[in-house]
Amino acid sequence: MGVISAIGNNLAENHAALTAGKCGITTAGNFLSKYSGILPFGEVPVSTAALKEKLQAAEAGVTRTTLLALHAADEAIKHAGLTPQQLSSQQTALIGATTVGGMCLTDELYEDAHRTSGTSPYTSSYDCASVNMYLQQRFNITGIVNTINTACSSSANAIMYGARLIKNGLAKRAIVGGVDSLSKFTINGFNALHILSKQICTPFDENRQGLNLGEGAAFLVLEGEDDLAGKKVYAELTGYCNTNDAFHPSSLSDDGEGPYQAMMGALQCLPTGNNTIDFINAHGTGTENNDAVESRAMLRIFGSQVPPFASTKSNTGHTLGASGAIEAVYSILNLVHQEVYPGLHFTQPIAGTGLAPVEAYRKASLKNIMSNSFGFGGNCTSLIFSKS
Amino acid sequence: METAELKQQLKKKVIEFLNLTSLKPDDIKDEEPLFGEGLGLDSIDSLELIVLLKREYGITIQDPKEGRKILVDINTMVDYIEKHRTK
Amino acid sequence: MFYIHHTVCISPQHTFSTINIDDLVESAENKLNALEPAYSGVAPAMLRRMGKAVRIGVGAAMPLLANAPMPGGIILGTANGGMGESVKFLQQIVEYNEDMLTPGNFVQSTANATASQISLITGNKGYNTTHVHRGLAFENAMIDAAMMSKEHRETSYLLGGVDEISTYNYNIDYLEGLYKKEKISNKDLYNVNTVGTIAGEGAAMFLINSNAENALAKVQAVAAIHSADEEYITAQLQHFLHTHLPAGEEVDLLLSGENGDNRYIHFYEGCEQVAGDGLTVARFKHMCGEYPTAPAFALWLACVISGPSTLPSHMVKKASAKTEFKNVLIYNNYKGVQHGFILVRR
Repeated sequence: MGVISAIGNNLAENHAALTAGKCGITTAGNFLSKYSGILPFGEVPVSTAALKEKLQAAEAGVTRTTLLALHAADEAIKHAGLTPQQLSSQQTALIGATTVGGMCLTDELYEDAHRTSGTSPYTSSYDCASVNMYLQQRFNITGIVNTINTACSSSANAIMYGARLIKNGLAKRAIVGGVDSLSKFTINGFNALHILSKQICTPFDENRQGLNLGEGAAFLVLEGEDDLAGKKVYAELTGYCNTNDAFHPSSLSDDGEGPYQAMMGALQCLPTGNNTIDFINAHGTGTENNDAVESRAMLRIFGSQVPPFASTKSNTGHTLGASGAIEAVYSILNLVHQEVYPGLHFTQPIAGTGLAPVEAYRKASLKNIMSNSFGFGGNCTSLIFSKS
Repeated sequence: METAELKQQLKKKVIEFLNLTSLKPDDIKDEEPLFGEGLGLDSIDSLELIVLLKREYGITIQDPKEGRKILVDINTMVDYIEKHRTK
Repeated sequence: MFYIHHTVCISPQHTFSTINIDDLVESAENKLNALEPAYSGVAPAMLRRMGKAVRIGVGAAMPLLANAPMPGGIILGTANGGMGESVKFLQQIVEYNEDMLTPGNFVQSTANATASQISLITGNKGYNTTHVHRGLAFENAMIDAAMMSKEHRETSYLLGGVDEISTYNYNIDYLEGLYKKEKISNKDLYNVNTVGTIAGEGAAMFLINSNAENALAKVQAVAAIHSADEEYITAQLQHFLHTHLPAGEEVDLLLSGENGDNRYIHFYEGCEQVAGDGLTVARFKHMCGEYPTAPAFALWLACVISGPSTLPSHMVKKASAKTEFKNVLIYNNYKGVQHGFILVRR
């Protein structure tokens, strides 16, 4: 696995930060936007120039989004010990996800869209595919390469897609994950929807004011059961489901049918003898709509026995296309270390739910962890990871 | 500007802003609910109308929930514009 | 892989409602713009918000879904999504200096807007995903659809590919050198020896499942390859055909994505050589223009063209003695680096 976020540049740093309840959301403001330095964001505190140098990605047109993805993918590949032969095997798939792609270059995009003469190094950088096209070249991937964009559930869907490729014999291993970087484009989009909070977000709190945008990337290396000999296995992906809420382009229905069906569908993948959920890494963005609806869906499924849950978006902000993958990595850290991390900034449950996230770090006996990602367009995905 | 004229102007602007290409100003009744039945607008439209009020009439509404109390029908909107416009 | 039961296409040619592909609609200013129908199945309240890609995507999907049982999911490929809406939002950001912007353009600009609008209009709560991997976005959607229909044999799925020409992506792609600098008509697309092609757009939708009965066509296999090496590509094609063509059978029709760009013709000629002897070679980009999910248009063609009598003469590059097209191979590449093979059996 590999991860980079507002709370750490690699797996170890992210783990330490989660354990310590560290929050990476600040008003540091190192990117170009009127809101930089004013609204809170989960910025990765490494400049684009520094990333370029560290990763030796000097090619013109490489964007911050691609650099963050490269950083995490590189860590995951090294962590998995994949050899160059394995990377370039036709049996190795690369499935990425992003909602921003090269649109982090918002000003350049505007300029190029209107440019009538001259050239630009960015003309093939703006789309979502540009990230994985770069990674494909960089790692010499010859198997199936794909990019998924389903808003906030993108990288959860990428993980699911990679797993299904292996299950259907179309790949032996899949490098799966996602990335998003902070961009003027998305900041203004979310601001226009009035769902950005002026304060640090408070997921599942009665007085929550909205979300904080974040950035980051995470990749995981998935392999099939038949190829595990001699390898350290961190967790098993034992359940997954994607559904659509079909209610509204940018908010969830009151009864949360989409989230409910996604969670139920994932649960139904588990064997009857081992289907209790010990912890939920909730989508928990801190918006009025999501947290209320997600709470209701959890109550519908688990009744009075809602498992312990928390949203790590209180540490990292909402990393959009990267959130599914980042939170998958965090769920696996829960399993590997048999511990739960506190949900931050919480004071008071949402009226009528009686639900409070885990508020302090503790060791725990964990077998199955559910990770939820619900996106614009009603796209709802639930993944379950189990201790192996 | 006379109220009647403002109502017509507002209807034109609402149609343009929300791209209600199948409607003409005379199709929108002054007392027809904008949301729910009537015109059947939704929450994204309400955010767009808040922007319309700012851009065309210089009125700032910070909280979308407050906005819904004003955006009931053309009558309530015109009433609010007449009292609060800065443009 | 899976069977196609119904298909609808909105394109720059007469491919929707009354189908007439014999008469070639001419391009204008190096662009082939889609002929948009009246969209009678879509409420004006929803239509008013939609950018072009969402409109033509929804417009092609609705007739398929109107009289069919609810599909188990919606699987689309689009490289540019709602880029037209993106640039409208961008204009606002610049014009109003990031202050008080209308969210409609932003929401409609997301790549998964088409898939989500279809699910919203039809109340489809099933599997829903959008593949955006540029010139292989549609091929990846096909692979996904194949896996879904194998995993759920009793269920149908909506599969589609859509992309639009918008001011934004046209200008950017033009800067990159994708399009012809000189004025050209689609009728002459293959007759000049210059770089570049012409822009196109379209939406092709398919209802697919695992059931062979009454199917229009079967998608036998799909391959998605990243390479700029012609030898590698032709070797991969040979391997693809060897693996997926039933023993003793040959390719009858090659639908070639040749697009008038002299930088990439060698890939197409190389593949023509290895696709087989005595087959008919036909081209389609002069009909739909160049865009990342153009293979979806080609797949629609593979469903409607059964033999020489239904193959328009303007498509034919190389005629043959074949009297029917049982095995159709679609080969397409995007900018010479993303290559897709689709084998269709009628």
